Amino acid sequence: MPGAEITRELYWNVVGTGFPVARVLTYVFALIAIILFVLGLLRKGGLIDRIRMMKLATGPDVPRTDNAGERLKYAIAEVFGHRKILREPYQGIAHLFIFWGFIILFFGTFMDFFQGDVVEPLFHANILQGGFYLFFSFITDLGGILVIVGVIMFLIRRYVNRPKWLDDKPEDRIILWLILAIAVTGFLIEGLRLQATELQPGHPMNPYAWYSFGGHLFALPFSGMSIAAVKGLHQVIWWVHLFIVLGFIVYVAYSKLLHIFTVPANIYMRNMTENPAPLKPIPPESFETAETFGIHLLEEYSWKDLFDSEVCIRCGRCVAVCPSFLTDKPLLPRDVIQNIREHLEAKLKLALDADGKVHVIPEESYEGPGLIGDVIDKETIWACTTCMACIEACPAYISQFPKLIDLRRYLTMMESDFPAEVQEVFRGMENNSNPWNIGSHTRADWAKDLEVPLMSQKGEAEYLFYVGCAGAFDDLNKKAAISLAKIFNAAGLDYAILGTEEGCCGDSAKKIGNEYLFQMLAETNIEVFNGYKVKKIITLCPHGYNTLKYDYKEMGGDYEVYHYTEILNDLIKSGKITLKNPVGDLGTISYHDSCYLGRYNGIYEQPRNILNALGVGGLVEMASHHEKSFCCGAGGGRMWMEETLGTRINQKRTQEAIDAGVKTVCTACPFCYTMLTDGIKELGKGEEMQAFDIAQLVAKAAGLE
Amino acid sequence: MNSVVCVKQVPDTETLIKLNADGTGIETAGIKWIMNPFDEYAVEEAVRQKEKSGGAVTLVCLGPDQALDAIRSGLAMGADTAVHINDAEFAAKADPYATAVALAAAIKDLEYDAIFCGKQAVDDDAGQVASILGELLDLPVITIVIKFELSDDGKTAIVTREIEGGHAVIEVPLPAIFTAQKGLNEPRYASLPQIMKAKKKPVTVKTVADLGVSAEPMTVIKGMELPPERQAGKMIEGADAAAKAAALAKALHEEAEVI
Repeated sequence: MPGAEITRELYWNVVGTGFPVARVLTYVFALIAIILFVLGLLRKGGLIDRIRMMKLATGPDVPRTDNAGERLKYAIAEVFGHRKILREPYQGIAHLFIFWGFIILFFGTFMDFFQGDVVEPLFHANILQGGFYLFFSFITDLGGILVIVGVIMFLIRRYVNRPKWLDDKPEDRIILWLILAIAVTGFLIEGLRLQATELQPGHPMNPYAWYSFGGHLFALPFSGMSIAAVKGLHQVIWWVHLFIVLGFIVYVAYSKLLHIFTVPANIYMRNMTENPAPLKPIPPESFETAETFGIHLLEEYSWKDLFDSEVCIRCGRCVAVCPSFLTDKPLLPRDVIQNIREHLEAKLKLALDADGKVHVIPEESYEGPGLIGDVIDKETIWACTTCMACIEACPAYISQFPKLIDLRRYLTMMESDFPAEVQEVFRGMENNSNPWNIGSHTRADWAKDLEVPLMSQKGEAEYLFYVGCAGAFDDLNKKAAISLAKIFNAAGLDYAILGTEEGCCGDSAKKIGNEYLFQMLAETNIEVFNGYKVKKIITLCPHGYNTLKYDYKEMGGDYEVYHYTEILNDLIKSGKITLKNPVGDLGTISYHDSCYLGRYNGIYEQPRNILNALGVGGLVEMASHHEKSFCCGAGGGRMWMEETLGTRINQKRTQEAIDAGVKTVCTACPFCYTMLTDGIKELGKGEEMQAFDIAQLVAKAAGLE
Repeated sequence: MNSVVCVKQVPDTETLIKLNADGTGIETAGIKWIMNPFDEYAVEEAVRQKEKSGGAVTLVCLGPDQALDAIRSGLAMGADTAVHINDAEFAAKADPYATAVALAAAIKDLEYDAIFCGKQAVDDDAGQVASILGELLDLPVITIVIKFELSDDGKTAIVTREIEGGHAVIEVPLPAIFTAQKGLNEPRYASLPQIMKAKKKPVTVKTVADLGVSAEPMTVIKGMELPPERQAGKMIEGADAAAKAAALAKALHEEAEVI
């Protein structure tokens, strides 16, 4: 058969001509390793026990197993394509190399098994020969090299330039060294075999030896050794390699290597609802009947919440992007998840019966650390701005910050335990339907000198312009509301505002954890919207946008909701407004992505398109932008709380604008506008820099000022 | 210690006030009503004393149907029961004297060691009811209290009240009447379970006739007027600080005529 000489002998130098002792032993050891792996999963407190503990969780969740086909497709693409992992190129590439290297090596090992123990004994044939063998040889060496490069990249990151937020536990190092040892011993075996066979002059494979380029390199140190010594060393390392590989397999069950299975599972179970960061539903009727709200016990989370803690491998990407952490506040999303995991493990010990069953721990008999306060600090709970950077960054599809909102709900609704300054905000929302507690009768005063149609006079309109509290009550942001009304008028848009019939959207109340207040506000608004048969809504504020779009829908208020940047972008494109007038000297401009527009809703380009249409040029990005944009510090109700810990988030963001060398920072969110305006003043840049809401600039360029 | 707290429902401080047609009162339609903020301090203090040393807290409120909201707010804060003197007509024309007579009639059948009131209601700012109540019930009245402590035997109270430029500490045998000033405590934000529980707490509804009260107001409001609308501010212009100061002095002297 042509090319039959292009092959290699399986179990070369390990299995002799007689009874294949080594071959049988390999299978015996492999079987033992698999048994140890399974026992590892089944051990007391192991993965299976932990999953049984998770099953005790009672909290509701979004669907996690519907649309099986789509879920599977997405999970496969994400797992094999590494889309999210590659968001951080260095770590991404390192992981990609190891991942694909391992897949290739797994395939290589499988082919060896298939040839040696299936094809050869049953059919007395050799598929590992000729051109295919050379390809096989090359590709498996490539796999091994990928693994080595990847693991060295990780070792450098861990030992040489480890970011301060990156955890460093023994298992993190053990895993890297194990992987390196597997790859290196593998190559040593190959190199020693080549040295004793293919690299010898006259060997039929000699001309093809470079196809095994990895092994070839590893053979170099042994070129002076006698064949007998090479063979002796080969045998020793062969067994060492086998035991390291089997040890690795066993170690999976005992370490974060379990993520090989749990992360794909978690990607499969990703949130597929429209709402990018859904909170647990609290049905309105339960306010009358339920005895407790929010979460103060581990078991009140959903089982998927707890599974998230199992999936986390402490990569720390959520920490690296968290605005609270980056301004020295005691919030590290990873630690929230890890603390939940440790708490679960501790509670599991109490929940395990002598007979190995997991039983519910009655609340009154539990005396261990409490979820709120002990496991997760109150300061941590209140530090979150709900900017969603953690969720966006997590390659394992963990939902971090909503777990904190569950705790806020308990603190707020059950204990009335929230930052003192929030009480006035709640009162404002309750009594005057705005967090500033300004008389609700003044809600439409911003429009007094303009021709702004009122829904109560017009009866109906194509669009409801939902101004929101900031546009209606905050002097700074009234400017944006006025600009928008002028633009809508000029463009001949069929719209109306609700005037004093409008109410607070309730976003801040919801994110602070006061779901009861949120639902009261939402119900009132929905009733008014439906009264006017509202179908399409334009919001000024991204928080209102997100709330009306998702949260109101969950309460039965189903509308087409647009943020004004979407509408303005269309009006400009269709020529309904023309931007021909000078807008003054803006210098270089940067656009600050609002979290609730960008990460929450993927509105990145519309605001940038609008700014480009102004024709002022000079649009530059700050260090953080698009998906990685840095929060202004006002989301999640933080707008209304004192920022007493660490440094100020808005100043850190403003500093990014200063560092980018821009003169003008634009945004399309009232909270961001306020925070950036303050940031510029606080950093003493009031003379040389300015902040604008995009709407103001459009009005100016359209000659409407 | 058992307490009675007198509670009044008033317009929200931010709400738009319009005068009624004949100018003797305000237009009540469209008004957002809240519990008088000073009464919140009173309720909070009574509830805290209950939490410390036991007893019960009873609210007494004179007002129309809608006043029930203020009562429920107080119950949600931790009061146990309430008496609602629901008499819209009487309440509408009641002056401090008539109000105190009605409250006294409701209170006299209750068990109490202390009566807490707000130091004044923020609507008419009369600040008289507690004092008249003291006269009617023959009890000592301590006004503008910023600290309240019960003695160990529970027979007296040691309270701190605000006086011009300082504080006075006063001991008074119970029962007695106290009016709450800002600073006495930080009123709580009622938790959701408390709000729900408050809906089921007993509220005894009585009319003025039930109480056998036939008091006529001793005073009558002849007219009310709104303060003049605030004028827009004026920016002082000038080349430098000295010029601006001169312009300011001129404006204060000639336009405002204050210097």
